[in-house]
Amino acid sequence: MTSGFGLGLRTQHYKDFLAEPQPVEWLEVISDNYMVNGGKPLAMLDQIRAHYPMVMHGVSMSIGAINGLDKDYLRKLKTLEQRIEPMWVSDHLCWTGVHGHNMHDLLPLPYTLEALQVIKRNVDQAQEVLQRPLVLENVSSYVEYKTSEMTEWEFLSEVCQATGCQLLLDINNIYVSAFNHGFSPISFIEGVPVDSVIQFHLAGHQNNGDHLIDTHDHSVCDGVWVLYRQALMHYGYVPTMIERDDKIPPLAELLSELDIARAISNDVLNSKIAI
Amino acid sequence: MNLRELQINFQHTLLDAKCSGADWVRESARGLSSRDRLAIYHNAYRIRLKDVLLDTFEHTAVYLGDDWFHKLAAAYVRSHHSTYTNIGLYGREFPHFLAEQLADDNEVSELALMDWKLRRAFDGTDSTVMTYDNLQYLANVESGSISLQPVPTLSISTQHFNTLDIWHAINQDQLPPAVERLPQPIDILIWRKGHSPHFRSLAKIESAAIACVCSGDKLEAIGAALEKDFPDVDVATEFGVMLHRWLDDEIISIASKNVDDDAR
Repeated sequence: MTSGFGLGLRTQHYKDFLAEPQPVEWLEVISDNYMVNGGKPLAMLDQIRAHYPMVMHGVSMSIGAINGLDKDYLRKLKTLEQRIEPMWVSDHLCWTGVHGHNMHDLLPLPYTLEALQVIKRNVDQAQEVLQRPLVLENVSSYVEYKTSEMTEWEFLSEVCQATGCQLLLDINNIYVSAFNHGFSPISFIEGVPVDSVIQFHLAGHQNNGDHLIDTHDHSVCDGVWVLYRQALMHYGYVPTMIERDDKIPPLAELLSELDIARAISNDVLNSKIAI
Repeated sequence: MNLRELQINFQHTLLDAKCSGADWVRESARGLSSRDRLAIYHNAYRIRLKDVLLDTFEHTAVYLGDDWFHKLAAAYVRSHHSTYTNIGLYGREFPHFLAEQLADDNEVSELALMDWKLRRAFDGTDSTVMTYDNLQYLANVESGSISLQPVPTLSISTQHFNTLDIWHAINQDQLPPAVERLPQPIDILIWRKGHSPHFRSLAKIESAAIACVCSGDKLEAIGAALEKDFPDVDVATEFGVMLHRWLDDEIISIASKNVDDDAR
């Protein structure tokens, strides 16, 4: 496992990372952006990879799709994985479309035993191709299904147990879904197996009053920082990064935000040691 | 409802023009109704696809103006469901769609096709570019009977209007010239040099020569074809000039045959 704090690599910051060393221990790249045949994206990726450890994070595997996984997508993902040798490969616990259509969204799954079987089948296939454990992230959601038989955190635990996959917990997504569905974010954090969590995402969202939208285009809000502190108290140290997907600010602004995460992490972990 | 039925139903709700409610969504005691919750996904699908069209067809959007482009993009999203894992490929049929929708304004579809091909060249397949030394070596080894190979990002499109001038004006934040039909159609070469997509217009003889190169013809056959089609031209001299420019432009590859479908 890596240590330290990272950022999501975005095109707006290529020059910053190539110009001089930046105070991050690793970078997360959106796999899909580099599953191309060539050109500047891959050239930049190779140059920056030479100086920073990386993790891969995808948005299109559709691990919960009833139709199964796209073999061509897995082949391209494997090619990229061999190219940059990431510390781990993650995607989302969701589905993105069926029968050849793609909704380009992280659609939530019903928390049922049937869905669990589908995910087990698909994760097995992905892990067979990648030859390493897959890491899955919890998504923000706006709907819940009548057919769900368990909570989201119980479902995540079942997925880990059934597949051997690991978890990327997006603290903002927990916060957003908890607000939208009225569950306790602390119950979520306490309900997920500690040993399975290998990465945290921190991000911002849009507050629409009676619901939250997971836009990833704002800075991290106070409530998410509080939840991050509580997550650290429960899990101990977990590699953490700021994830900004839209309205990308100057790198310095994200580095300042990452420093807040560092400070909270140091504070919590030092307190635990003192105890 | 099993998972298959649920996913088909959910997807149908997103693809349908209107967002209707669904009896498989749990009604929440707080916040939004189940229908409003589904509408978040319904709207996000459309916004995401329109955004990618706006990003891909940047010059076309400026030329049409926000309102018109928005209406055409919305109509395209209604009639074209995404089947691409890579959302960047969603606009593949958009130039053709514009040609149908704006049959009296075909410079728009030509502009869109340029936007599309330049974008595809940007992240098209890498290759090893042929140098003067490579060519000299090949000429010695193959005794002059060699075939050249275009870089995988190379493509040619034909324009019937002053679309190239319109593109340049938009690119320089200037008022586009009035549209004019050209006396003769021109071929536009598009490819990537280094990290940047490039384009330029082609004379007829160069277009014919590049078509021969793309067909895999050997140099001797290319020369013979050009002499037949351009009897008034000193083909040997002209071909030498073209070859020189091709090497400078980095449009000839020494990699194995490798067709980049996305660039076509």
